[in-house]
Amino acid sequence: MKRNEKIYREAEQRTLELVTRRHFLRECRTGLGAMALGSFLQGCNWLGSKKPTPATTFNVNDPLGPRAPHFMAKARSVIYLHMAGAPSQLELFDYKPALQKMDGQDCPQSFIEGKKFAFIRGVPKLLGPQAKFAQYGESGLWLSEHLPHFQNVVDEVSILKAVTTDQFNHAPAQLLMHTGSARLGRPSMGSWVTYGLGSENANLPGFVVLTSGGSNPDAGKSVWGSGFLPSVYQGIQCRSAGDPVLFINDPKGMDRDLRRASIDAINEVNRNSHKTFGDPETLSRISQYEMAFKMQVTAPEVMNINDEPEYIHQMYGTRPGETAFANNALLARKLVEKGVRFVQLFDWGWDTHGTGPEGSLDIGFINKCREVDKAMTALLLDLKQRGLLEETLVVWGGEFGRTPMQENREGKQNSFKGRDHHTDAFAIWMAGAGIRKGFSYGETDEIGYNAISGKVTPYDIQATILQQLGFDHEKLTYEFQGRNFRLTDVHGKVIQDILA
Amino acid sequence: MSWLSNKYVLAGLMVTVCLGGWSFIFNDSVDYNTEVKPIINKKCISCHGGVKKKAGFSLLFRSEALAPTESGKPAIIPGDPGASEMIRRLTLHDPEERMPYKEEPLSEEEISILTKWVKQGAKWGNHWAYVPVAPPEVPVQKGWLGLFPSKYKDWVKNEIDWFILDKLRDKDLEPSKEADKQTLLRRAALDIIGMPAPEAIGAWYLQNKAPDAYEKLVDTLLQLPAYGERWAGMWLDLARYADTKGYERDDIRYIWRYRDWLIKSFNEDKPYDVFLQEQLAGDMLPNPTDEQLIATAFHRNTMTNDEGGTDNEEFRIAAVLDRVNTTWEVLMGTSFNCVQCHSHPYDPFKHEEYYQFMAFFNNTRDEDTYSDYPVLYEYNKEDTANYRKFSDWAGKHLSKQEADVVMNFVKTKYPSYNSLKSDRFVNAELVDTKWLGMRDKGEARVANIHLTGKTRMLFRYIAFVPDGKLEIHTDSLNGPLLLRVDLPQSKDFKWTVYDGKIPSFTGNRDLYFRYRSSSLKKDYTGIFFDWLHFTTDFPHGKPGADSAYKWYYRLVSAGNATVTPIMLENPDYMRRTTRIFERGNWTAQTGEVQPDVPGSLIPMPKDAPRNRLGLARWITDKKNPLTSRTIVNRIWEQLFGQGIAETLEDMGTQGIPPTHPELLDHLSYRLMYSHDWSLKKLIREIVTSAAYRQDSRVTPEGLEKDRFNKYYARGPRVRLSAEQIRDQALAVSGAMDPQIYGPSAKPWQPDGIWNSPYSGHEQWENDLGSSRFRRGLYTYWKRTSAYPSMLNFDAMAREVCTSRRIRTNTPLQALTLLNDKAYLDISREFAYNLRDKKLERDAAIREAFTKAAGRPPTLADLNTLTHLYETSLSRYRADAEATCEMVGLQNEYNNAETAALIVVVNSIMNLDEVITKP
Repeated sequence: MKRNEKIYREAEQRTLELVTRRHFLRECRTGLGAMALGSFLQGCNWLGSKKPTPATTFNVNDPLGPRAPHFMAKARSVIYLHMAGAPSQLELFDYKPALQKMDGQDCPQSFIEGKKFAFIRGVPKLLGPQAKFAQYGESGLWLSEHLPHFQNVVDEVSILKAVTTDQFNHAPAQLLMHTGSARLGRPSMGSWVTYGLGSENANLPGFVVLTSGGSNPDAGKSVWGSGFLPSVYQGIQCRSAGDPVLFINDPKGMDRDLRRASIDAINEVNRNSHKTFGDPETLSRISQYEMAFKMQVTAPEVMNINDEPEYIHQMYGTRPGETAFANNALLARKLVEKGVRFVQLFDWGWDTHGTGPEGSLDIGFINKCREVDKAMTALLLDLKQRGLLEETLVVWGGEFGRTPMQENREGKQNSFKGRDHHTDAFAIWMAGAGIRKGFSYGETDEIGYNAISGKVTPYDIQATILQQLGFDHEKLTYEFQGRNFRLTDVHGKVIQDILA
Repeated sequence: MSWLSNKYVLAGLMVTVCLGGWSFIFNDSVDYNTEVKPIINKKCISCHGGVKKKAGFSLLFRSEALAPTESGKPAIIPGDPGASEMIRRLTLHDPEERMPYKEEPLSEEEISILTKWVKQGAKWGNHWAYVPVAPPEVPVQKGWLGLFPSKYKDWVKNEIDWFILDKLRDKDLEPSKEADKQTLLRRAALDIIGMPAPEAIGAWYLQNKAPDAYEKLVDTLLQLPAYGERWAGMWLDLARYADTKGYERDDIRYIWRYRDWLIKSFNEDKPYDVFLQEQLAGDMLPNPTDEQLIATAFHRNTMTNDEGGTDNEEFRIAAVLDRVNTTWEVLMGTSFNCVQCHSHPYDPFKHEEYYQFMAFFNNTRDEDTYSDYPVLYEYNKEDTANYRKFSDWAGKHLSKQEADVVMNFVKTKYPSYNSLKSDRFVNAELVDTKWLGMRDKGEARVANIHLTGKTRMLFRYIAFVPDGKLEIHTDSLNGPLLLRVDLPQSKDFKWTVYDGKIPSFTGNRDLYFRYRSSSLKKDYTGIFFDWLHFTTDFPHGKPGADSAYKWYYRLVSAGNATVTPIMLENPDYMRRTTRIFERGNWTAQTGEVQPDVPGSLIPMPKDAPRNRLGLARWITDKKNPLTSRTIVNRIWEQLFGQGIAETLEDMGTQGIPPTHPELLDHLSYRLMYSHDWSLKKLIREIVTSAAYRQDSRVTPEGLEKDRFNKYYARGPRVRLSAEQIRDQALAVSGAMDPQIYGPSAKPWQPDGIWNSPYSGHEQWENDLGSSRFRRGLYTYWKRTSAYPSMLNFDAMAREVCTSRRIRTNTPLQALTLLNDKAYLDISREFAYNLRDKKLERDAAIREAFTKAAGRPPTLADLNTLTHLYETSLSRYRADAEATCEMVGLQNEYNNAETAALIVVVNSIMNLDEVITKP
């Protein structure tokens, strides 16, 4: 049996045990390990579906216990690299020689009529690609000079060049990408996945978020929030400064032995309470304290990159002691290796309007590319050399694209080379876990303005990610306010063409 | 029954028949709600309901179900199942024809119920929650042959208990005896005031042997100001209260006066109907007080989007929709937001009814502005004096009506036009999509301004250059002149108010702005506009008018004030029309609708106006079936850990049916007719019942019979809420800051939590003084980055309303209580206080335990904790540095004994019993 299949069968078995009343009663009577005490969330209501499917029940006493998806999964984990601020597809993946020829010309009226942009006003000028392009790998995919390392792994990835969105502001677009709605209040993708699958490592959170670039994404923590799902499914932000997980470190003056002694004392008194009250929640609490104690060791361990060999540091280009995308990429590998389901990276600083040097295509943007190119390439190679790429889905992208026009904020030409937010076409790449290798999907028109074929939406990407994790995106639901909600709302189609 | 084969069903029927069940089979009428609707909901409605109407057949409303289908014939002929296509289709064998399509066929029992139902006329019944509340009979039990008192006579404390006993008997369960006094003291206090009772009250109660001591305790607790804080805390989730505006910028919003209003209202025991009326329509009450205006901030807790480039109308509408959904979910326990896109799939609400209801809320003045207009200005000390003087003057010299108009403007700057509604820009734009900004030779339009009777205009602006010239023309850029004025540079580039005369025009006119400044560099903006206000002449002729104008001008231009967003209705000339959104899409608006309530519920009171005030009266009408049930269910949930109908947010047909429907009705009826909507009386009634007072211990058999305590054979035992855990720790340690009311506090939070791109001008700075020990409800709530330790205990971000928090049990909760510096600080304060009392080791531990757990430790508990103390003590005696770190560098306590006590106290704070209601 392949590893994936084995994991699936095991999880399926556990889920079945959970929903088997007899088992649940037997466990209750003997009062064995609270972990297996199944109490179902009473609030869930199955009238909408025919019978409780494994992926739509969860146990309040063990909400992160591993559970089976709808069908055999290709992916065991997801690493989602989000470039917050939205990188320009025209300087990275979508090669448009025609746009070069039209550089400096007024944008044709047909493109701007009735359109709304975040900042462009009046008639902007077209802006040619600010990078040289060439073909790489056996697949011959086009890439820009700004990704010198990534050129070496281009045969591992599928590049989607005709991604579209309907949100042209950062926060709503990021929310749409990660929660399936431009408004606050919906669960994020990682929350849905941990709700559906639980976590494989009881000593680590199931859904981890890492940020770099000096700021959190515009949409704030809601972009990894649990929305209306129980808060236990929210992403846990791990940090490279301060506690790696909030409250994970003992206070100063408290050593491990003393922590052990205090947890022993707490649990001993709790066991007495359980004898008195007979409340199964108390048993559950005892095991949560044990788990907390273990997590205190495992989380800082996995968050510590210092023990990695030198060649790994070289490969990723880490900057130990700092908050850097490269460090986070390496951490992402370590986390999936330990069984974390969903690792979400946000790197802030890609909003290249051209209003200043940092946000310009010829200066700030190139620096940002340097910060991520080596590390994201290393991540793919590292996963591959460990045999993890087969079961880890890696996704890279922003929340929207950039206009083929140079931005003219408030009707005036910006001082640096920059592009405005663009919803009609942008690029995302995906790799690993059953994604086609060395493949380009979707095309845009000759200036890269509109998607003309292979057009996909954030919902399609979400559906595809869930599909690789073993979920039918229409069936992974949660009832809230009288409705069965799902990540993809009422949309979404799996992008079959990019599946191997 | 589906697992039974037909043979067994038949046998079952035979037995029923033999036992004299003839009437059940042949005569008894079928009950739509309990027998028919469950089958329809489960088997039919997903294809034949509010969303899909396959073959033109829908079972949602009777009128629809009896109407001709696509075949041209109705599928149901009342009284004639033989001729009813629906019944025929249930029994066919061809899988293409038989219904439910491609699903398991209905059981014979189900078919028989539906057949009988059609035979009996296919009558529709109302869902329990949509039927007006009527007082059910109290199921008082009698003893043997009804001649003797029930054996439970002495157990029962009030009528609630008979309803509980009735169900317990059905379930073959026995109630528990009353819990001991210590337990009751702690339970009642945590529930009523959200923390343990003050020591004196506790001591008084524990010594008091009178039979009504408990009732007296409850009455005392209900009178404490902490009561209002505890219940306001609950309401904050419902009102989606936050100190920030949400979305990307998530900037600060000053709306804490609404929280103060809640605390005060709960403490005054404001009748629940008035409480709701003021929140929904306080501004429309006759001569509203400032307090009543603050109450309307309830629905101003919606989010405002300050991100540049966003469409203000889109987010205004989002806020209005949120008000509709929140009103239904929070006040009427109904999930209404499905109806936004289509008719409700299960409940009797039609698509257009959503928009009719929305029309009540669609006419408020707020427009997603940066400043959250309209707001209520509460002036600071100096300006309050000016305000008083001006108000006195206006009262003396102006007619009542004139005075009202001018004072309302001073208080709210209303009614005004927001410059973000401008368009047709040339050398002008909406700066950051918030304010009209103009450059040299700039042009812009502000459309549809009501000028009839107006002789004067005021506008708020910042002029950045000394030589700005503004012209405003009506009708076109070169139309009749309304205003020509030079606008010198605003002092310190601060917002300035222009006030000047205008010629008289009639009707609604478009205003065209033209702006020039020769000193402006190309592409630089010379002026920002905020609001425009049109009015009549200032009464300069009256005595004292010169001074009065000075006060007035100061107040309208630069008054120092705390502002609170409030609801204000548009004047008639600004009235918005409401249209149906096709499939819920606001950009696809179709037919116009008028404000109304859904036809399946009670009509509006005859004399009620079709506006928010009328709506508030409809919601609080005693005949409204939902309002009283919803609040009773919610309060029951707060006290017992789960609602009588568990889905607080949905009492509709898809919600979980109530375990004790008669009890819910009984309490709802009493709330309205016996308690006159007094929540304190309702709470008193519930917490003095025998059901509430039961011991919460459970045996394995008890667990097996009723694992979740749905039938209340034992007392409620549930984990405390995030706020209760914090408040209890503060109270028992003696650290709590007793300050009531006021702005939010920033207790300790780890560094780097507020790391959002635009939080630059507002940073989390840990409070250093006593305010770091304020109660949980005062914690500053930033929507995109809410207080992490409370999130770990299931608090929600409050982007939208939260009807109930789902309790979880996770290792992060353990880590929070063990390691969060806020909790460590509280443990330190606790230990310092114990050390100050110079208690011996065992006495100190016993006192800490007793205070926190509400009972003295057993010998075993004490042994465990003294062992921990000794282990810690020897550890700290050997390590002065660790000692100092643990005690927090305070010299007088810097010794190993205090450090060890802190470890023990912190462990006590983590105990299951301490964070659980006893």
